[in-house]
Amino acid sequence: MTRCLLSLTFALAVVSLASAQEKKPLRWGTDPTGGAPFVFQNKAGEWTGFEWDFAAYLGEKLNRTPVMRKGDWDKLPERLDQPADGPEGIDIVLNGYEQREDLSKKYGMTQPYYTYRLALVTQAGNTSLAKWSDLTGKTVGVLGGSAAHDYVKEAFADKVTLQINPDVATVFGLVQAKRMDATVQDSTAALYFVRELPNLKTVGEPRKPGFYVIYLRKNDEELRKQIDDAVKDGWKDGSLRKIYQKYGLWNADQEWLTYTQTGEWPPDEDAAEVKKDEAKGNPWPRMLNELVRAAGMTVFLAVTSFPLAMLMGLVLAIGRVYGPWWVAAPLGVYVEVVRGTPLLLQLYAVFYLLPTWLPDGFALTPLQAGILGLALNYAAYEAENYRAGLLAVPRGQMEAALSLGMTKLVAIRRVVVPQAARIVIPPVTNDFIALFKDTSVCSVILITELTRKYNELYNFNREYVAELAFVTAGLYLVMSYPLAIAARWLEHRLSPNREGGRA
Amino acid sequence: MIRVSNLVKTFGTNRILDGVSLEVRTGEVTVLVGPSGGGKSTLLRCINGLESFQEGEVAVGDVTLAGGKPHPERELVALRRKVGMVFQQFHLFPHMTAIENVLSGPRFALGQSRAEAEPRARELLARVGLADFADARPATLSGGQQQRVAIARSLAVNPTAILFDEPTSALDPAMAGEVLAVMRDLAASGQTMIVVTHDMDLAKQATTAHRMVAGKIVQSGSGGAVAGW
Repeated sequence: MTRCLLSLTFALAVVSLASAQEKKPLRWGTDPTGGAPFVFQNKAGEWTGFEWDFAAYLGEKLNRTPVMRKGDWDKLPERLDQPADGPEGIDIVLNGYEQREDLSKKYGMTQPYYTYRLALVTQAGNTSLAKWSDLTGKTVGVLGGSAAHDYVKEAFADKVTLQINPDVATVFGLVQAKRMDATVQDSTAALYFVRELPNLKTVGEPRKPGFYVIYLRKNDEELRKQIDDAVKDGWKDGSLRKIYQKYGLWNADQEWLTYTQTGEWPPDEDAAEVKKDEAKGNPWPRMLNELVRAAGMTVFLAVTSFPLAMLMGLVLAIGRVYGPWWVAAPLGVYVEVVRGTPLLLQLYAVFYLLPTWLPDGFALTPLQAGILGLALNYAAYEAENYRAGLLAVPRGQMEAALSLGMTKLVAIRRVVVPQAARIVIPPVTNDFIALFKDTSVCSVILITELTRKYNELYNFNREYVAELAFVTAGLYLVMSYPLAIAARWLEHRLSPNREGGRA
Repeated sequence: MIRVSNLVKTFGTNRILDGVSLEVRTGEVTVLVGPSGGGKSTLLRCINGLESFQEGEVAVGDVTLAGGKPHPERELVALRRKVGMVFQQFHLFPHMTAIENVLSGPRFALGQSRAEAEPRARELLARVGLADFADARPATLSGGQQQRVAIARSLAVNPTAILFDEPTSALDPAMAGEVLAVMRDLAASGQTMIVVTHDMDLAKQATTAHRMVAGKIVQSGSGGAVAGW
């Protein structure tokens, strides 16, 4: 099994060799589905956000090309465990990550680039919630794994109903729709959403100041120093202030941070105007284009992983049916474990866990991990299909083949498998259609396929949530329905009872 | 040519073969008769290596299988190249045409190319009277035709002996007649055969016949003597 994995990894790695760039890239990991005001797309589809601008600023200061690398927020630091120059590798984590003791032990950490506080946000008309202590008995949404999450758990324990969501914008939407009483958020996000969404307000004084820092590899000492210097310069010459003012994020806390970082007081008063980034236009051509391209990734995942699954499934099934017990038993365990655990966990394991067991340099890219994970999962299901098919071929067929002097393997290949293949076509084609839709699970390991693209788009285009959902579902349907038709045709064509013609 | 010595096969406490010994010389037709459950088919399957056995020995030419232990595939394949088998239920490969069935042994067991093996395969089909059915699928053939294809298939790998396991029991008399005609033709040409049958006419023509009851040979003699008993 390991050798099969390694050779597959190798094959995929050769395909995905990146071409060299002139300027060294500064690959920064972020989760754009976390959204405004950190990193998000404006109505014109351009990337913006204070961290986008901050990354651009760092790129300029370090003479490197900033390259955004997307991923799930709570998994960003772990990506530092993988090589930076891999296809989805990152140099730094830059996405509102707080200064945390656990992370700073494991990873390098820069000087802070922003001071946030925790703000309490509820509906503007909510009179039952006027101060923090009113939270008792309420439903509170937080971003999973954030400082706010930590704080609410610690300060309110079981006095509130905690609802954890991986997506900031979703939480604010739920509060707005009164499906949650309130949310505790970093002031950055709170300030932005209270300004953007009607009928939301902050309540009480923001609490518990903390710092946003950049995490990088422990041994990347030089890069850390360069970033620290760049941040310090940014405080001094007002570059950071300009960025923060653009998004309405400059406040006394930042002035104080400037002072502690540079010793200069008062900070430069040369303020930039807060710019409106709203460029109106019809977003549909762009969104459709993005969705269709993401659908291409969905198709690619399906057509690469399924043949692999069929091949592995056949080996598993033959081993189980015809192998000695010491081959059949472990294969049986594999099949039951894979069928009995969620695909989601398996993908996590392949992407995050597997590289830690393999020698360096064998870290899988998200795409490789996705294809491999799907193939490993579906191999178990295909194995069961084939096993049923192999057992459905009468025993006399095998005996007749053996009596002619064929070896067991030849008899399986020439006599049993061709007959079993006809039996298993319907369930196998069904599985292909199922796998086609299961590719959406790959969104959890950073692959931008159709479902993830949908999530990304609707985050920035809340007014089209329903339309986007219909278009996305429609895309799945127009792709999977022809598959179903093709499957039926194949079934008919290969039916053993069909008269005439040679196979 | 074929020598079976003191063969014992048990299933649980049931002794299916209880010390069977027999010898078949080249060119002879040996018939096994007797009531159902007497162990005739099991004996054939042991001679072909499709069943294992606990005690005794099966020797075919220079290949010897001893009872009580598993046999490596190499030995089983060597044995089966010497003895072909024709089954009661034909067991033609349904995904292949008649000619492809006949070619399957030469191609997949002997490693010949299709072109190399095809002239003789067609010859064999002609010999069993099915030259015109080369491209027919088994499902479109009658039982008698299928059994004749099966005989041609087992002949195609040039076995020194062929074992027939009740070859006509699944056929109506007319079709059985077609198959028996082919078998008589084979016997006349000096093909070594062991036939399990209930057909007394066939038994009477045999060189040797053995009557098996409850796992034992209870009577042996010329075909006429045993069949007429």
